[in-house]
Amino acid sequence: MASRDVVRYETPLSTAFKWLSAIFIAIYVVWTVLPIFIMFMSSFKDLLEAFKLPAVGDWGGIMVFFDFTPTTKHYYELFANLGFTTYLFNSLVAAGGSAVVSVVLGSLCAYSLSRIDFRGKSDLFFWIISTRMAPVVAVMVPLYWIFRELDLVGTLPGLILAYTTFNLPFAIWILKGFFDNVPYAIEEAQMVDGATRFQAFRAILPLVAPGIGAFIVLCILFAWNDYLFAAIIGSGGAKTLPAATRELVQPQNIQWGQIMAAGVVTTLPMMFLGLVIRKYLVTGLTMGAVKE
Amino acid sequence: MAGKSSSSLELFRVRHIPDSVESRPVSMVAAEPKSVNPAASKRYYFLLMAPAILVLAFISIYPFFWMIYMSLHEVDIGKAEWNNFANFTRLLDDTRFLSGWWLLFQYSLMCLTLQLIIGVFLAVALNGSRFEKVLVTTLLMPMMMAPLVAGMVWYFLYNGTFGWYHWLLQSVGILGPKSLLASSSTAMIGIVLVDVWQWTPLITLITLAGLKRVPQDQLEANMVDGASPLRNFLSVTLPNLYPVLLIAIMLRFMDNFRFIDSALVLTGGGPGNATKILPIYLFEVSFKFFKLGRGAAIALILLIVTIILGMLLVRIFDRQQPSKV
Repeated sequence: MASRDVVRYETPLSTAFKWLSAIFIAIYVVWTVLPIFIMFMSSFKDLLEAFKLPAVGDWGGIMVFFDFTPTTKHYYELFANLGFTTYLFNSLVAAGGSAVVSVVLGSLCAYSLSRIDFRGKSDLFFWIISTRMAPVVAVMVPLYWIFRELDLVGTLPGLILAYTTFNLPFAIWILKGFFDNVPYAIEEAQMVDGATRFQAFRAILPLVAPGIGAFIVLCILFAWNDYLFAAIIGSGGAKTLPAATRELVQPQNIQWGQIMAAGVVTTLPMMFLGLVIRKYLVTGLTMGAVKE
Repeated sequence: MAGKSSSSLELFRVRHIPDSVESRPVSMVAAEPKSVNPAASKRYYFLLMAPAILVLAFISIYPFFWMIYMSLHEVDIGKAEWNNFANFTRLLDDTRFLSGWWLLFQYSLMCLTLQLIIGVFLAVALNGSRFEKVLVTTLLMPMMMAPLVAGMVWYFLYNGTFGWYHWLLQSVGILGPKSLLASSSTAMIGIVLVDVWQWTPLITLITLAGLKRVPQDQLEANMVDGASPLRNFLSVTLPNLYPVLLIAIMLRFMDNFRFIDSALVLTGGGPGNATKILPIYLFEVSFKFFKLGRGAAIALILLIVTIILGMLLVRIFDRQQPSKV
């Protein structure tokens, strides 16, 4: 933090800037929160109440937004009649499965990569990272073809494998940075005491455990929020929450109440998880390039 | 704590240690020393690596060869026929393919410009403010949302008869009765705004992380010399932010190529072809009309362009932190 030894001059300009930025922050926060707030509120409104709007330019009419009797019928409808229990389960299995597969395989790979040097290592790294950066739609074209031959379309294992295309390279890339910070001396000490190589590896796992936990959560987040793979590879038997939400849009009859409720069901757990791993979020979302 | 003596001691305290100077004890090497039996240890580490590499090969290299194969054939359910590069030659006079690139470029540029301006300003305004922590946590919310759900919610907000956002724009007098997404001249703005809404906070977070590394003593020294805050920002803060901003730009740029979920629900490429950015066109060709051969040709080109961009990105990452890779 800046030291207070230096006298700061309060010029009219800096005061103006202060006020300007306060106003800007206020407006920005409102614009960020409002859509989410409206989603939450609309999920508890009857369809007609959700459609109520004041006349154009009638600013006092904004209060009609709060004029409704809360109902949970949309949530009830989703889980009782529209099969969202299954979709929630599919989402959990697909996202959780791919996260666990990616992080387990990824940490073994990342650990090895951080311990040895070999020719072509940087090429291998580039390949891994380019897999992660490939556009999902482009990857999906051949993947769909292959998965159809293997009867993996519309199955949860297929979807898990599809999510692994972006989660595994992510896990390898980011966990390598974690293992790079664990000195080899610790394993050496273990092995001097008679541990095998693998036991030594297990011994350093607690050191990277918080990071591994956080990146399992991030992998879950990426997979959970995916729509394209779910819509194509998962179509039929392995519909996840986003894909099911999309299908509530029928040409003539859009069930907005249910869509908003489904949105809340999809969003809430991830917001919670985001808060849990807050510390690792920036590192994770920037592929480890920026640390807070 | 109190008195003059402690504040004069303050002068001698090193406030900022540049990352490059930060020293580490010698034992902090992660790599295995050469003295350990190299053949045995290589075998061991390659064994640990193998499962991940095999899985990754199966879901990236193998499909890549299939993509090339498919792009050279007329692909139909269960069969593929060689067609003399027709998939590629036909793309040359496919106006939607060419305009798809142009629209993708426009879309990315608009998203990036807005996100950078708003994101950096927001970070500067938030930095060191009393509510920084709470506000940053609030700003995280949109990023945790599935892009598809974000698209649906905004589709609702933009709606011409019951959308609150539409009502707001109309009340302010910016918009007529026609919804933002319904006219081909404004639909692009509609999908850009959703991306800006969802991802500007990421730029803010990255910038905030960068701001913490701006050398404070330099700012203070300049201030003592009479530099204005604006001048200070331009000559000290911004150059220090440049590396993190570069990362932010590349990341967002790649993501604009990677994700089309929200645009797909908002407009689906319409009205007409006004927002048919290339990935949406590719999605349509491959999974709506099931022209998988043609789709593979487009996908191959998109992939190659993205990989070239990715190469640039990795090179920038390398320059950022020589210790990595």
